[in-house]
Amino acid sequence: MSDPQAMRNITYAQAIRTALREEMKRDERVVLWGEDIGVYGGVYGATTGLQREFGTERVRDTPISEMAIVGMGVGAALLGLRPVVEIMYEDFLAHAADGVVNQAAKWGYMSGGQYRVPLVVRSPGGGGSGYAAQHSQNLEAWFAHIPGLIVVATCMPRDARGLLKAAIRDDNPVVFLEHKGHYTYKGDVPRDEEVLPLGKADIKRPGRDVTIVAWSKALVAALSAADELASEGIDAEVIDPRTLLPLDMDTILASVGRTRHLVVVSESHAYCGVSAEISAQVCERAFGELKRPPKRVGSHFVPLPYSEPMESYVIPDAARVAEAVRGLLA
Amino acid sequence: MRSDRVEQLLAFYRGMLRIRLFEEKILDVMLPGRMFRGSSHLSIGQEAVAVGVVSALGPQDYLITSHRGHGHCLARGMDMEGAFAEIMGRSTGVCAGKGGSMHLSARDLGILGENPVVGSSAPMAAGAALALRMQGSHGVVACFFGEGAINTGAFHEAVNLAALWSLPVVFVCENNRYAISVPVDVASARAKAIHERALGYGIEGHRIDGMNVLDVYDISMAAIEKARREGRPSFLVFDTYRFVGHHTADSEHYRPKDEVLQEFRAHDPIHFVERSVADDCIVDMTELVRIRDEVRAEVDAAFARALGAPWPSPEDALGGAYVETSASFTCTGLPG
Ligand SMILES: Cc1ncc(C[n+]2csc(CCOP(=O)(O)OP(=O)(O)O)c2C)c(N)n1
Repeated sequence: MSDPQAMRNITYAQAIRTALREEMKRDERVVLWGEDIGVYGGVYGATTGLQREFGTERVRDTPISEMAIVGMGVGAALLGLRPVVEIMYEDFLAHAADGVVNQAAKWGYMSGGQYRVPLVVRSPGGGGSGYAAQHSQNLEAWFAHIPGLIVVATCMPRDARGLLKAAIRDDNPVVFLEHKGHYTYKGDVPRDEEVLPLGKADIKRPGRDVTIVAWSKALVAALSAADELASEGIDAEVIDPRTLLPLDMDTILASVGRTRHLVVVSESHAYCGVSAEISAQVCERAFGELKRPPKRVGSHFVPLPYSEPMESYVIPDAARVAEAVRGLLA
Repeated sequence: MRSDRVEQLLAFYRGMLRIRLFEEKILDVMLPGRMFRGSSHLSIGQEAVAVGVVSALGPQDYLITSHRGHGHCLARGMDMEGAFAEIMGRSTGVCAGKGGSMHLSARDLGILGENPVVGSSAPMAAGAALALRMQGSHGVVACFFGEGAINTGAFHEAVNLAALWSLPVVFVCENNRYAISVPVDVASARAKAIHERALGYGIEGHRIDGMNVLDVYDISMAAIEKARREGRPSFLVFDTYRFVGHHTADSEHYRPKDEVLQEFRAHDPIHFVERSVADDCIVDMTELVRIRDEVRAEVDAAFARALGAPWPSPEDALGGAYVETSASFTCTGLPG
């Protein structure tokens, strides 16, 4: 008998690979394709060894053809495969947007329920690596605006493994957003199989004074801000929604009901972002609970610059999160 | 060889060396010294295409290139210090530190910019060519990309329109045989004859040795003049090879080391010039050595000056997202 508590300390890339591998073993309909995912194992190593293990039939290197990568994923999903396709950078989802937004998201609905689209589109986004404006964006809000899609944005190894497995098993199209700055980040992941529920937030740190909602790599900034604030006597609760569509507002509202203060942190821009949705819903549904208006922290509203001093200024860090919390509670 | 051809060859030699030594500085000094961020895509091995094609452009012409565009920019006359400074992220960089290695740009030189989104430069080149034609210019646009780009929809849409609307574009494909790790024959139908894709659009397609700078120049001259005079686009496919990784962080485990060594020994475009000059006793070898020394001094000096240049201040990030004409668009009402 294996110990259900037993953990492995693995990287985010390994966690993703573990999920892919487990699901490919479990279900032969699961197939992968994308640029450089086979021989190379993905530019961030998320698919290392999978082509060797499962063969070139199920793990395919494609040409640089984003529109076809996703479009073929939709077509194959309609006829019963469960493709997990990779778009090398989230920015290039712009090339593939038709497949995601016009096709995958709508085919099931438009066909009156005759079809379903069990497709997962994985893609790394995010800045902080000096890749400048066209290789660093966080575009979750684009996709969170589209009925018919599920949008996941997570950066912790355990969540990535458990949610990717759920995404592959789900019959809806899932946009699974990863953060390129996190592939070597390590965390504990259960040895035993674990499938985490889509649409369920996770309280990463309980606290009483303020609710900080943060996802993807901004979660790390939020958690270290919470540590910093703790030494000043401010007890922050940090919530990772993990799935941005659907959004687990119940967990967020319950937390705000306890702390009565809300700060939403994202690496994406606050303007028209998912953080706008969260703070609007809290205002609409729990206005009376709030002691102060919610605050949002996001990247400054410019394309991401290359040079280090400018890039790190644009992306919110722990200091900026802590500052926002202090400002709110002051 | 005629004396004007010798002059030309020596000029090409200098041009290729400027690119080679510039990029060797990135690889040998800046990479171990962590003097740039992210990764840098070097064109070591592909210099003959850059110099041959760009030398055939006139002052009224434009170019747009890919992530692997240092060579095209330098050949077009980009300030070397400004290019180094940009890659280092300094405020004196050609893009003030906002772009970096993948986004070099110089409007005054007719460099539309590097565009690392594979395929996306092709329609932009066609649009630029349309603008030139509508404005009565006789300019031509050269569009550089790797063989990986020809499998994007954007490429095909652009070539069709350029052919249909008689736009002065020369589509320049540098077939270095790999798109990151994926070999051309794994990604492309009829990989040995990709130049024939032009036939479907009724334009000229040629496959040329991209390691011979004179051949590159001659075919480019012809294609550019055809575009200029007749408004006929062409598709030039140059066989070339990169002697270094896809970028400075590439493990390169998808190709045998021997292959790289063999290609380098047999086809180095710079060595090609040295050999042809020496074999035919066209010029004294000391002349080549003198050119090499001069280029090295130029690169060293530009590098040193760039290294002494100031950093941008963090807040410089906030300017430039919009043209500052009407309202201030920084007012999204939010700090973030
Ligand atoms: C639309 C798009 N998809 C994927 C990438 C990631 N990528 C960067 S370079 C590259 C390979 C390009 O190969 P090729 O066009 O042959 O040019 P080379 O790098 O060989 O010069 C890929 C896939 C990208 N930059 N843009």
